Amino acid sequence: MPTTSSSRRWILASLLALFVRPLGAAGVDFAREIQPLLSENCYQCHGPGETSRKGGLRLDTREGAHGRGKSGKAAVVPGKADESEVLRRITSTDPDEVMPPPETHRKLSPEQVRLLRRWISEGGQWGQHWSFVAPKLPEVPKVRGLRGGNPIDAFVAARLAENRRKPSPQTEPGRLLRRVTLDLTGLPPTPAEIAAFESDPSDESYRRTVERLLTSPRYGERMATEWLDLSRFADTHGFQADRYRAVWPWRDWVIGAYNRHLPFDQFVLWQLAGDLLPDATQEQRLATTFNRLHLQNEEGGIVEEEYRVAYNVDRVNTFGTAFLGLTFECSRCHDHKYDPISQREFYQLFSFFQNIDESGQSVYFGDIMPVPTLLLSTAEQEAKLTALKSDIAAKEAAVREVAAAARPAFTAWLATNGPAEPSPLPVAAYSFDTMVSNLFPNSRGGAGARPFEGPQTVDGRLGKAVALSGENGIGFPGAGHFTRADPFSLALWIQPAMHVPRQTVIHHSHAWMDAGSRGYEILLEDGHVAVGLHHMWPGNALKVRTRRQAPTNAWSHVAFSYDGSSRASGLKVYLDGRQAEVEVVRDNLWKDITYGQPDLTLGQRMRDFGFKGGRADEVQVYDRAITALDAARLASVPPPEGEEAAFEHFLQTAHVPYREAADALHKARREQNSLVTSIPDIMVMQEMERPKPAHVLKRGAYDAPGEEVGMETPAALGRLPAEAPRNRLGLARWLLDPANPLFARVTVNRLWQQFFGRGIVETSDNFGLQGAAPTHPELLDWLAVTFTRGDTALGIRPWNVQDLQRLIVTSATYRQSSRVTQKLHDWDPDNRWLARGPARRLTAEMLRDQALFTSGLLVEKIGGPSVKPYQPEGLWEMAMGGARYEVGKGDDLHRRSLYTFWKRTVPPPSMMALDAADRSYCVVRRQSTSTPLQALALLNDTQVVESARHVAGRILREGGATPAARSAFAFRLVTGRRPSREEAGIVQRLLEEQEAVFRKEPDSAERLLKVGETPVPGEHPPDQLAAATVLAKALLNHDESVMRR
Amino acid sequence: MNCSHINFRMNRRDFFGRFGLGLGGAALGSLAALDGRAASPGPFSGILPAGHLPAKAKRVIYLFMSGGPSQLETFDHKPELVRRTGEDLPASVRMGQRLTGMSAQQANLPMAGSIFGFQRHGRSGAWISDLLPWTAKVADDLCIVRSLHTEAINHDPAITFFQTGSQIAGRPSFGSWLSYGLGSSNQNLPAFVVLISKDRIDQPLYSRLWGNGFLPSQHQGVLFRSGKDPVLYLQNPAGIDGASRRRMLDRMAELEHQQYRDLGDPEINARVAQYEMAYRMQTSVPDVMNLSGEPESVFELYGPEARNPGTFAANCLLARRLAERDVRFIQLYHPGWDQHGGLPGGIRRQCGDVDRASYALITDLKQRGLLDETLVIWGGEFGRTNYSQGKLTKTDYGRDHHPRCFSIWMAGGGIRGGTTYGATDDFGYNIVENPVHVHDLQATAMHLLGIQHDRLTFRFQGRDYRLTDIHGNVVKDILA
Repeated sequence: MPTTSSSRRWILASLLALFVRPLGAAGVDFAREIQPLLSENCYQCHGPGETSRKGGLRLDTREGAHGRGKSGKAAVVPGKADESEVLRRITSTDPDEVMPPPETHRKLSPEQVRLLRRWISEGGQWGQHWSFVAPKLPEVPKVRGLRGGNPIDAFVAARLAENRRKPSPQTEPGRLLRRVTLDLTGLPPTPAEIAAFESDPSDESYRRTVERLLTSPRYGERMATEWLDLSRFADTHGFQADRYRAVWPWRDWVIGAYNRHLPFDQFVLWQLAGDLLPDATQEQRLATTFNRLHLQNEEGGIVEEEYRVAYNVDRVNTFGTAFLGLTFECSRCHDHKYDPISQREFYQLFSFFQNIDESGQSVYFGDIMPVPTLLLSTAEQEAKLTALKSDIAAKEAAVREVAAAARPAFTAWLATNGPAEPSPLPVAAYSFDTMVSNLFPNSRGGAGARPFEGPQTVDGRLGKAVALSGENGIGFPGAGHFTRADPFSLALWIQPAMHVPRQTVIHHSHAWMDAGSRGYEILLEDGHVAVGLHHMWPGNALKVRTRRQAPTNAWSHVAFSYDGSSRASGLKVYLDGRQAEVEVVRDNLWKDITYGQPDLTLGQRMRDFGFKGGRADEVQVYDRAITALDAARLASVPPPEGEEAAFEHFLQTAHVPYREAADALHKARREQNSLVTSIPDIMVMQEMERPKPAHVLKRGAYDAPGEEVGMETPAALGRLPAEAPRNRLGLARWLLDPANPLFARVTVNRLWQQFFGRGIVETSDNFGLQGAAPTHPELLDWLAVTFTRGDTALGIRPWNVQDLQRLIVTSATYRQSSRVTQKLHDWDPDNRWLARGPARRLTAEMLRDQALFTSGLLVEKIGGPSVKPYQPEGLWEMAMGGARYEVGKGDDLHRRSLYTFWKRTVPPPSMMALDAADRSYCVVRRQSTSTPLQALALLNDTQVVESARHVAGRILREGGATPAARSAFAFRLVTGRRPSREEAGIVQRLLEEQEAVFRKEPDSAERLLKVGETPVPGEHPPDQLAAATVLAKALLNHDESVMRR
Repeated sequence: MNCSHINFRMNRRDFFGRFGLGLGGAALGSLAALDGRAASPGPFSGILPAGHLPAKAKRVIYLFMSGGPSQLETFDHKPELVRRTGEDLPASVRMGQRLTGMSAQQANLPMAGSIFGFQRHGRSGAWISDLLPWTAKVADDLCIVRSLHTEAINHDPAITFFQTGSQIAGRPSFGSWLSYGLGSSNQNLPAFVVLISKDRIDQPLYSRLWGNGFLPSQHQGVLFRSGKDPVLYLQNPAGIDGASRRRMLDRMAELEHQQYRDLGDPEINARVAQYEMAYRMQTSVPDVMNLSGEPESVFELYGPEARNPGTFAANCLLARRLAERDVRFIQLYHPGWDQHGGLPGGIRRQCGDVDRASYALITDLKQRGLLDETLVIWGGEFGRTNYSQGKLTKTDYGRDHHPRCFSIWMAGGGIRGGTTYGATDDFGYNIVENPVHVHDLQATAMHLLGIQHDRLTFRFQGRDYRLTDIHGNVVKDILA
């Protein structure tokens, strides 16, 4: 009979129905039996979702079910099934009446109808969904005949006893060691370790082994691998050109945190809100990169806000899936259909995560870190930066002192009519009055200005001016290349034609958003003059805007004067020769403002609004901070009254001691700038002083804001305490509070899944109403409460992952044999009830790492930039951006797989074939499938073949001289166990057959031995080495190697 | 004994041979185990053995024109727009609709009519551009939809939307849904095959576009590349030939059988079956990729480019060969349509790439009686603006992305040929008649394959997902 998966599911469902009802229980259990049924069939229209609710009826609350709907009839009349509308409608044969409606393609089975009827007859007891009630420590069941004091075994055995089943015996020592070593370190044990454990498989020896594994540096790598899926870690941004992002320092932090056994509450707290801790350390801030690992879009021409919203939605979804096991995504567009999370509550959570000074568009020009960022300085660099900081402060003080002492000299200067002396000239000046060889000459002698798309010259403020269209412009080659440490100034006459939200007057940069606005610029924003110096907009930038507007259709003189301090107070804007009052828009510039040397450009910028209809005249560039007197003179207005302006002018232009002090300061700032700019940074969370306003977004659309909302947690999970800070730190503490019903359960469930292949709640990504019911609810709660509170008697410290893992792997449940009889398999094909040990296919990472490890090729080095091992040619080239996959060299070919470069649009193909998670979004549960593409990858991938060659080298070197000895050695080496008599015969035959092949075809042997970069050490007959390679490959594909049993 | 999941027929001899006489009975037992209680579903079966509806089409060939071809130079004839070339786009037409950041800052939006002519073709009198003379010959087989619209305005989300029904990365693709629903009718090839034209990359094409998302991995699309290793890792390593591989696989199967006898896990047998399928693919894939057996007349039909592996023409011919072998979903990508500037030159080249081969594919399928059961779709991820991006001259202009209306065509597989459906306004900016959303197109294609689009669902994180999200209406008017 063909067995379809649906019929298999049906059988399984019926089996489950038998199990979920504890033997001997009388009443129907609402939470376990009725609510899932209502959720599945009714909540789409009669659940928590208000907008989608039909007939005014809700069946997710007692009041809703017992009250009277629009029809005036009560859906559920306790004790009276026949008067209950819900039963009448469900059993109706009238297509207009029957529920669920035929178009939903849903129908309750007779069994389910009977269950509902019984439930109503028994009084229609109500209860809350199990996972929304905080766990209490259940009593450990007493099971007769159970040995050992591990509570896990008691819970599991109790459940088995209910079904008159017994646990399996302990598995063979070799298999147990292989199982626990792979589970805790991701690598197999060595033959020597296996031999040692086989000779002493005592409990004490096992406990020692577990300690060895938990303190191995490989442990952190193994644990981090799981965390990378959950945190959607990748080495690229994920959209379009899919550029590189150097976020590996965060990955290394995760490995380190696991290796030094950082308590899990701290581990999570830092990642969510490390930046908000008092005196946050670099490490605590680095942890928050977690929230920034979502995809980021650099495609030119996107709507910035659309993606800013998308990023923040991803943060909320990741928070929901990873820490609460809930699917918040649904509530982005509408109230959740099943779980009590309203759309409003979604945006309340949203508002926690959006308060960073970021841009929805990442940079198209170059691999530049999205802002805000953390400087990844080493201790040595940090010391140097601190020294430079005090040096700069001292030099600033020196400048002030020189100024204070300059009064007598100033008086003398005034007496000699100093103010009338000409000021130092600009470094470039363009009047647009004449054209020579199609260029506007630079009166200071440098290259002429180059018009493009032909701005017209018209009568200007002085002589001729240029008239701009918004599309055309003028470039000033060689002019205006400054760093943020340099004092410099820019001045020109402008005549705007209109007041519009944005016009670019003049700028020194590659592009607007696509380049993070890096450079400096003068904009008109509704006529207000805005001057900016940006490393990357908006999180590393300096911008001020005048309160006054430049009028339309009249000439205004505009100048800014910048002192090289990287502070808004050091940036003055002059409008018509007078310093203009400004509002500070951003004051957070700490890396340099240029890359490459773009032309200073007037009138236009790539993908920006140009100076449409505007005119400009007399563009001047200064390599000093011009003074108020200079600005007045340039604007042809009288100098400002009073002595202060003159004093400043004296200092800047005439006083030699001041110049010397200022030069020294300039030099120190340049040094600091080049050091700080050379140090890599990484995107992190950095809370803005004022939170951004948050709104419900109608239909989830970025451009449809509705009601404004504040920071709050979903009511069903408990509100944020009144005294808690309204920020991510408050949220993180709420999450870690033992009263939180989900966090600990979700966490221990995932830890359980890591060892048993499936969680106690199978849907480890969904603990909501549509999620699976726990197979061992009491065990889940016991683990959750014990994890948060600890258990002194059992030696479990609060929030200690390793203590909990130790408890799991030392349980008899974990140590059972995974051998399965037909009968046992029929009863429980998926091993939900744990009458046998867990058997699982190795993950993509483990399979590759195992091959490298067994061959001796594995290079064990923790951390560093991701590496590019073997990959078939031409895959990256199909993607965009001219990226080529340059296969690494030497060590890079043989690092552990968690270091393999993860390009989101073209992920490592062999890992994808082997069910590695898509790193686009948070994944807490991988598939485990079996496909022909896996077979091809595991047999033909260069990485595997090269490893097999090196395993072959070991076989020839260490495995004895005869085919029998060698093949038996190989079997033991690769699979970890000794072959049976039959198996020994088969592997020996395999080796001899292949030797015969290669003896006959020596060329083939030579060719096979050249696959991969590294030669096998030592001298070996090629035919024997090639044959052993085939043997090794066969064994690396053997069930015992591919599975961990 | 039923082998509906895994077909051992073609090498049953090998199978029994390898266990020897003494183990024959046990081998039978393990086969039975495979059928009755395989832990993971076989690679060939879908969850809808019969479909929901009688199917008109058995398979899809999707000619995806990546980058967004201009409808105004291909299928949407706009004489009024030509007359108004150079005038600014009236605000009454644009109605405040968003533009991309590429042209939103442009000082003017000058309208640009096509500089290429249009003629009516076939009995149906369909308007087709002079750039597509070959396609025009099969006008009566085509249903041209001029009123397609989408929600995304940038390439990445727009292509993702077409391929997966969602702009968010990581959902299952169209072909994966079909593989999941209907399974494969070929035992030696994947159900979902992807072919990409070489040398035409302007916008990226990446594996998530043919990814399985949350569906089981066996439903992911398999990229067939031109060259020596058409499927990743298909080729044996240097120095290993088919015979040697066969011998190794035989010994491996014997070992696995020992393992099964010891442990009793049916997963062991399922893996052996996958290794056998992999072995068969090593022959069947090169076989289908090898065009040398095609007669001269076929190359005359497809044109000389069909001899050049990796071209669109060669891929069209390959698509026909895959269709003959009952591959369920054949996805071609032809990039290069993203003409922000220099559109006339660019689109002339692109049409030159695809015109004759598209005609040939329709004609070839028809001659072989395959067109009736094969749904062919031609189109991109969005259309292009009716105004020029960048400078408009008499001979040159560019067009920005335009999601509000664009044209595609469908043929075969239950589609009513010789029809033109939907219409845009005189400016070619907005739809005025019979709009067709991306989800409607997907729903319609599924309908033709016998699937009710709202019933092919998969439970993921507590929600039943489907290709058409919560939308999609079958466009009944274009069904034969």
